Amino acid sequence: MKYTVVSDLVGTPGEEYVPAEGINVEALLAGGFIKADKDNKKDPEE
Amino acid sequence: MATNTYLTNPVVTVNSVALTGFCTAADMSRVQESLDKTTFGESSRTYTSGLANNTCTMTLFLTYAAAETYATLKSLVGTQTTITLKATSAATSATNPLHTLTNAYLETLPVLSGSLGELQVIDIEFTGGTYTESTS
Repeated sequence: MKYTVVSDLVGTPGEEYVPAEGINVEALLAGGFIKADKDNKKDPEE
Repeated sequence: MATNTYLTNPVVTVNSVALTGFCTAADMSRVQESLDKTTFGESSRTYTSGLANNTCTMTLFLTYAAAETYATLKSLVGTQTTITLKATSAATSATNPLHTLTNAYLETLPVLSGSLGELQVIDIEFTGGTYTESTS
């Protein structure tokens, strides 16, 4: 799962957010600080 | 040589969110519990090191705006997270070390705390976790 920065309090908006050790990603998502990138790529074998 | 260090622009992050602009006080303490190992025949108590029990307290203005204090903390209650403190916003170095508490636990979050005509201010405490210091 990849994440993108939304709030400038966690990084540069638009850039990928890579959580460091111990970071509660669910809390960041719930607070609107980052968003999860939807992976729309289909499996090549499908 | 006398040295005066006063804080004007420290860096405070909770769960990787920069809360410097909402924080007025912060205290991270390394605590190593002491275990009494005094035996018969000794006239003074002697101790040895036990578990680490680090703490970090901070005073924050409480705001409910999107992606601010409350949004940062509300989902952390009862969970572990990472906190960092640095004395100045300058680059991390031996004279400006980055203090990190990983897997610190937030037990209590005041959700409303204030008086008539005053800004809401809350004190929170993170307990436990592993302390590390970075100088680069």
